[in-house]
Amino acid sequence: MTDVTMTVNGLPRSASVPPETTLLQLLREQFNLTGAKLGCDVGDCGACTVIVDGQAVNACLMLAGQADGRQVLTIEGLASRERLHPIQKTFENSGGLQCGFCGPGVLLSTKALLDENPNPSTQEIRDALSGNLCRCTGYTKMIEAVQEAARRLREESPAQLTHAQI
Amino acid sequence: MDDKTKVLEREQLDIESLRESDVDLRLPAVVPREPYPIEPLAPDARQQTRAVGQRATRSDGRLHGLGQTRYIDDLSFPGMLHARIKRAGIASARIKRIDTSAAEAMPGVMAVLTGKEIPTNSFGPSFQDQPVLVDDLVFHAGDGVAAVAAVTEQIANEAVAKIVVEYEPLPAVLDPVAAMREDSPKVHAPDSNIYASKVIRKGDIEKGFAESDHIFEGRFSTQMIEHVSLEPHAAIADWDANGRLTIWATIGRITLARSDMARTLKLPMSRIRIIGTVVGGNFGGKNEITQEPALALLSKKTGRPVKGVFTRGEEFTSTTTRHPIVMDYKSGVTNDGRIIVRQIRLVLDGGAYCSWSETTLGKACILAPGPYKIDNLVAEAFVVYTNKTMTGAMRGFGAPQVCFAYESHMDDIAKALGKDPLEIRLLNAFDEGSPSPTGQVLHSVVVKESLRKAADRFGWEPRS
Repeated sequence: MTDVTMTVNGLPRSASVPPETTLLQLLREQFNLTGAKLGCDVGDCGACTVIVDGQAVNACLMLAGQADGRQVLTIEGLASRERLHPIQKTFENSGGLQCGFCGPGVLLSTKALLDENPNPSTQEIRDALSGNLCRCTGYTKMIEAVQEAARRLREESPAQLTHAQI
Repeated sequence: MDDKTKVLEREQLDIESLRESDVDLRLPAVVPREPYPIEPLAPDARQQTRAVGQRATRSDGRLHGLGQTRYIDDLSFPGMLHARIKRAGIASARIKRIDTSAAEAMPGVMAVLTGKEIPTNSFGPSFQDQPVLVDDLVFHAGDGVAAVAAVTEQIANEAVAKIVVEYEPLPAVLDPVAAMREDSPKVHAPDSNIYASKVIRKGDIEKGFAESDHIFEGRFSTQMIEHVSLEPHAAIADWDANGRLTIWATIGRITLARSDMARTLKLPMSRIRIIGTVVGGNFGGKNEITQEPALALLSKKTGRPVKGVFTRGEEFTSTTTRHPIVMDYKSGVTNDGRIIVRQIRLVLDGGAYCSWSETTLGKACILAPGPYKIDNLVAEAFVVYTNKTMTGAMRGFGAPQVCFAYESHMDDIAKALGKDPLEIRLLNAFDEGSPSPTGQVLHSVVVKESLRKAADRFGWEPRS
């Protein structure tokens, strides 16, 4: 068994798991965070996307041990009790999610993109979401939602924008 | 009798007086209503409703975005076991021997199930030709041979690898056109491989071809396509001690699933409860049962809830797909580009089992001539068994395949006649009131406007 300790959605979490346990299994089965989904188990579909130390990763391809000591953000940590994250709000408004199975992964890929690039071009959004397959929406509404979320986030924190531009 | 009535009346009076007793304490229960809307609630055809132009959001969109939607794989129950199915891996064979002893001996394996243990080992929406787990003959490589329930998914995987199956390979039929021949091996012997057909006739094609200035022929074919819904097929079965079965399943048709479960398990329908959960993408691929009877029997054997989730690989080999169709078109055209006669033959590759093939066959056949005014028509369609993954419902039920064929054929005709592809379509397309290939008079026909608008929007330049 391997002991792992990490920060998940801002809280310290630890578990003792077999060494072959993936980060996805750890989150879903040990921490009961079922937002990240198992779609293909080979890193193709992106339904398992979570953010580790600011980077969007496929949790099905990362071992739990590799996330030891790191910061993990899952979809459950995106909204606060007070309000939805602007990305969640704009995806809801624009109809960017239909069956919703790819949703948590898409939203976290978007978050990782917008944290790094507050004003992405359509092509940059497409590139950032290229690892997240969706079979319902045709992506158009998703891209609109990302653009709208980017706009709202820029309005919210002009300071952050200048910082990122430097 | 009269006394009894009186007693009842008295009781009712008492209740009524009780109801009235606190009337002074109450607030007016009902706010005076607005007058009922006088305008009709159901609009006439083409009339603008109040909903048009309004924004609407999905009622479940917020939960999706929060990651709080519970799909099957997000549910678990105390003591729940994980099931895995052993796949045949051979297209056509007779099973000589199945040895499950090594799997059963593994610690953590709670039950193993083979096809022989299934009360009625066949199901299907129109023909009941699909076994839950094959027991004698293997019909395609994705067939399930045995199922295992274990305390973890990993143990279930290892147990499945330890099941030994000996096969006697049999000749396989892989080409749908060859499968139609008399001398072809039969997938479901002694029945013919052609298991459904449809013919549409209109006018006189011999006269039509005699009057044509040009005759064009072409063969078009499409490939097998999997739906690839992001959520794999998943279900949880719980057979309780009272002999009642609850199934949580990613199924779009829960009543059909219930009757199929009743049939395969020989269980009265009243003892089966199907809970259709949020489905992570269906597209036609989740319209019938797959592993559910096997999960139910594993649950019965173990007395525990059993969950089964297909791997992405199983999604491709062991669930329904879109029909590949071989489409032969022959059209007679006048010098000015009018199509006056068309003869079509469709051969649908049905795979190993019928599934929704009959529906697909019908729709493909009716739509095969295309949205064009053609007076003389024959469209024949056949669906045949092959030793491949079964084909079934998928968005459009055969319409996209024939659309590819008739539009490709149209382009070939336009090119050969030196005509603009748009112009030849506008010349032949349906008008308001045109009869469809089956004689239905069509209304709200906007195909020409749509074509013109589309051509305008993407800047189509006439080609010749």
